[in-house]
Amino acid sequence: MSHEYIPLSLRKKLFNKEIKKHNLANILTHWFNVLSWLLLLPTGLGILASPRLGLVPEVWLDATRQMFGGTANLIKFHYSVGLLWMFVLTFNIFIGFRKYFVSFAGERMLLDKDDIEWLKVKPLQMMGLLKGKTLPPQDAYNAGQKAYSYVVILGTFFIGLTGVIMTFSKYIPWKWLVQWSLPVHFSAVGAVFAGVIIHIYMGAAFPEERSAFFSMFTGKVNALYARLHHYKWYQRKLQEEDDWEERVLAEGRELRTKEHAAEAAGD
Amino acid sequence: MTQLFTRRDFLKITGATATAVAAGGLLPASVAKAARDAGLIDPNGDGYIPSLCEMCVWRCGLLAKVRNGRVVKLEGNPDNPHSTGKLCARGQSGLMNTYDPDRVLYPLIRVGPRGGGQFRRATWEEALDLVAQNMLAIKEKHGAEAMIFSSTHNLSQVQFENLLNGYGSPNYGTQRSLCFNAMVVAFSLTYGVEEPSRDYTNVKYVILVGRNLMEAISTSETRQLTAAVARGAKLIVLDPRFTKTAAKATEWIPIRPGTDAAFLLAMINVIATEKLGDCDFVSRYVNGCQELPQVMAEYTPEWAESKCGVPADTIRRIAREFAADRPDAMIHPGWRTSNFINSFQTERAIATLNAVVGNVLTSNGCLVALNPEASGVKLGKPPQPAYPRVTALRLDGVPWKYPLVPLKLGIFQNIRDAILTGQPYQARGWFIARQNPMLSLPDRRKTAEAFGKLDFIVDVDIIMNDTAWYADVVLPEASYLERYDPLNALAGKIWLRQPVIEPQGEAKSALWIYKQLGERLGLGDYFQYADEEDYLRQQLAPTGITLDELKLRGWADPPKEEKVEEDLKFNTASGKIEVYSQTLANAGFSGWPAWEEPPAPAADQFYLLTGKVGQHTQMGTQNNKLLNQVFKFQGLWMHPSEAAKRGINQNDKIRVKSEVGEVVTTAYVTQAIRPDCVYLTPGFGHLSKGLRVAYGNGASDSDLHVTYTDPISGGQALSQTFVTVEKA
Amino acid sequence: MATNTKKRYGFVIDVSRCIDCRACLVSCKVENSVPEDHTRIWVRDLGVEGEFPNLKQTFVPYNCMHCEEPPCVDVCTSGATYKDPENGLIQIDQEACIGCGLCLPACPYNVRYLNPETGKADKCNGCIQRVEQGLQPACVQTCVGDARTFGDLNDLNSDVSIALKNAKSVQRLATDDVDTGPNIYYINGDVMQASLLPREPSYASAETFWRKVAVPAVVAGVGLSFLGQAVFFAKQLVDGEKDFEE
Repeated sequence: MSHEYIPLSLRKKLFNKEIKKHNLANILTHWFNVLSWLLLLPTGLGILASPRLGLVPEVWLDATRQMFGGTANLIKFHYSVGLLWMFVLTFNIFIGFRKYFVSFAGERMLLDKDDIEWLKVKPLQMMGLLKGKTLPPQDAYNAGQKAYSYVVILGTFFIGLTGVIMTFSKYIPWKWLVQWSLPVHFSAVGAVFAGVIIHIYMGAAFPEERSAFFSMFTGKVNALYARLHHYKWYQRKLQEEDDWEERVLAEGRELRTKEHAAEAAGD
Repeated sequence: MTQLFTRRDFLKITGATATAVAAGGLLPASVAKAARDAGLIDPNGDGYIPSLCEMCVWRCGLLAKVRNGRVVKLEGNPDNPHSTGKLCARGQSGLMNTYDPDRVLYPLIRVGPRGGGQFRRATWEEALDLVAQNMLAIKEKHGAEAMIFSSTHNLSQVQFENLLNGYGSPNYGTQRSLCFNAMVVAFSLTYGVEEPSRDYTNVKYVILVGRNLMEAISTSETRQLTAAVARGAKLIVLDPRFTKTAAKATEWIPIRPGTDAAFLLAMINVIATEKLGDCDFVSRYVNGCQELPQVMAEYTPEWAESKCGVPADTIRRIAREFAADRPDAMIHPGWRTSNFINSFQTERAIATLNAVVGNVLTSNGCLVALNPEASGVKLGKPPQPAYPRVTALRLDGVPWKYPLVPLKLGIFQNIRDAILTGQPYQARGWFIARQNPMLSLPDRRKTAEAFGKLDFIVDVDIIMNDTAWYADVVLPEASYLERYDPLNALAGKIWLRQPVIEPQGEAKSALWIYKQLGERLGLGDYFQYADEEDYLRQQLAPTGITLDELKLRGWADPPKEEKVEEDLKFNTASGKIEVYSQTLANAGFSGWPAWEEPPAPAADQFYLLTGKVGQHTQMGTQNNKLLNQVFKFQGLWMHPSEAAKRGINQNDKIRVKSEVGEVVTTAYVTQAIRPDCVYLTPGFGHLSKGLRVAYGNGASDSDLHVTYTDPISGGQALSQTFVTVEKA
Repeated sequence: MATNTKKRYGFVIDVSRCIDCRACLVSCKVENSVPEDHTRIWVRDLGVEGEFPNLKQTFVPYNCMHCEEPPCVDVCTSGATYKDPENGLIQIDQEACIGCGLCLPACPYNVRYLNPETGKADKCNGCIQRVEQGLQPACVQTCVGDARTFGDLNDLNSDVSIALKNAKSVQRLATDDVDTGPNIYYINGDVMQASLLPREPSYASAETFWRKVAVPAVVAGVGLSFLGQAVFFAKQLVDGEKDFEE
């Protein structure tokens, strides 16, 4: 990694310190998404039986129908899970965890100058070029993760919308809308899935992101990782910690002052 | 062709057995009790119940598939000779006849002006009391004859006539004079039967004069004719219009309207002169045939050509072909023969032609001139006193002006005219059942006027037809799928109409209505049956057949009188086929079939033709949603050359005018009609707003038809109306 | 497409016998609860041909051809439409149909419709619910002119086989360009009229886009993504694990 040199003692200290990166809502939603995808993608593919489309191997078409006892049940399962997934996400975002999500969105999703610069440098570095160049500091999520989030959000929105249209096609008078929902649903799933492949590798296998992987269970990353990969966020967190310490100390001073005053009055 | 569907199969399928009866307690209350008791319905309320269709007069036997107390499908009954397992489009649509949302399900009493369509719901008590009150008042003040009774012939006719005769009115109207009279009177006089039955088994040559069998469908007969043509029989169709029957014919002859008799008389001429007939048969069973060559001498094919427009050579050829195929050659006796006043002579010529080729026999051959009573089925009936003697003249002029018209047929249009003229006396009331004179009588304006003149009109119907719309009291009859009717005898067997579902609303069978009304009129003694089933049991009494076994199968084979095989004897005065009719001569008409010159339209006028379509029945089915999905009113048929002369294109709005009325409709430009003719499918142009599907759909030819009556048979002459057509 | 079915149910229509009575249309409608503005079967009126008085008119009963190589089965998104291996009839599993309607333009004979009440595709199903009970299809049972017959074309003794054997002429509505192997045989009449002949199967633009653009694009994208990550993963394995990493 190309970043500024950190002395050994600091490294050791930072390595053993943890900072909270993900709240519970975040974590639950993430794994709920994972579960949904594990159920929806294979069954969704299983539905696509059109010989003309010729996409899914017959062995999978047969297996899914066997598993669920027929095409009708397969479809029912798929849209039931799909509708549940959509409902939970919508609820989480707009109702349940709105407080978290709004700040989350503001803080972690918008691209700034550093992000743009990062996007130009990082991919080349990953291919072995520009080894010496220093990467611009990143926030809670690096630009790559931000770009991925756009794909996911946009993609999920369209997957859900087209999914609902197809499920309730009976009530849609514009059949062209139902028909176009097919390739749009498929394309959105494809786009997100392509991103998910990168996301899974980056999150789970890529050695530098090991701390990030475990943060999806514990909610915490180690401070060294944070300082190296998400410097701006790290700084903010340090500041928050300082502020917190300040507050606690101030509280203590206030308390002591009050005690003294009480003692003095009590004599 | 293998019929996979037999009576045994459907019983097997539904598992309907006697044990199902025991489970009757578990069935939903709405299921027809009768069918439940008969064990026709399984514990789920599903099954097939045999009954009879009423979507036209052919009355095919049907099997009604019932599920949870609803009819879900109708099938032809393979056992029934009129159905042979088939139902036509109308029969198949019978569900909508019963479940039509525009059904009248409660007695209605008019509020507001007559024809305004405002009614209030009443109880049966109130409605029947009101009807009886009015009918008795009329009887007391003006005499029983001031009350007209009319009904289109149906299975409950026997009790309708009971009411009429018990009440003491001579004024009996049926639809016959709008339809059959020419045929019935001609064949009664010639063969001694009203209508010989037709056997297509061996026929090789069939001539149809009109008789659009592929559209005026009589299921089994249409089927048999189709089969005959398919196996190579020749079919010659005489019709000014290229009907669907003409489309299936070997030869279509677009004959000038009103001149069929010329064609046929020329055929007799050829056969008699060239001695092509069955001499042996003719001399034994037909009178008057020796004189035929002289009598028919003037009716040469050349003469006929000048009348009907068909080349003499064609006429000659067909006459020879017809005779060559004897006795397996037939000219169909016809059905609706109310075209021209000379239609009677046309029918006489047909009867003669069939006779001279010897195809008329009592047990074998193409035309079977059996007397229907001779089928030997003897049914019982409830006891009743003798009818009161009626001395008043009939309003329709039968028989005092029309000596040859049978009383049972009458002249319907004359009744309407008599209301208007008040001659020979003023009619005051009209009791109408299962009939739509408002739309079926020619000259609708006159009919509306006649309705306006009466003190009291009561109509028995299942739906708010035009006649009901103009009535004072509407009594809701149960539809044919909801009721019992008196037994029907067909081909030596008796057939049952039974309810397959409970009647909806408060609809009741005619048997019940007539009895209830009869009792209130003091005629209870003429209706000595407790209910419909009691009536049927009394009908069955002499046969030894139980109602239960009849309900199960829908038909039964009663023991019949042993028929003594005697030498062919026809039910005429001489006992022979009477080509020469002394009866006719005595009444002052030509004893021989003779030519009567028909009227012809002026240069700018057209013959207004009428006819049938296979998807509707006269004036009664136009509200049926199912039928409306398979047939759309086409407008006035017109030949392209005549349309072009008037600047009329396909679907243009046009005005059609006759001397009594006019209609505005659309043009249907087609090659399929003579240039001097136009055609309008009858039965549309309903006035009743209570028919939400039929109202405003199409135009009615009854607005255009001029009333003409044949003095011999009393038949209407519906094609003698001439019209002008112009762009509207 | 599966052509080796145990039975081969089909129709034989004797064109000379059809009188356009339309009993079949009503019978089918009632039997199969077909919604108001739709129909599963037709009687095609070829019109009055010729000039008065030399006229001709032919009526041609028409419904799903239960093809040997059905384009509707080919395009069906969920496989809801299938050719029954037992008898060759083309059926629609209503519960498996998602109502996308791609099958409608794919049919060269235009026999399919979307049921407005259920939202699903529908068409003549050979009245299999009746045939299983030993009955004839509703249209065949009631055909007044005996023009319609139905049965197993693989069985030499069936109504349809016998009708074909005795026929004066036999045609099917297929051309050199469009021959999906229809299983309605027309006998004793000429039905090869432009208005009746099948058209090429056609496909909604959404389907074409899906097949030609979206699928290749997604396959490429996912493939590249996977490949890319696989390369990095391989590199990672080759490089080995570092014990002391950040």
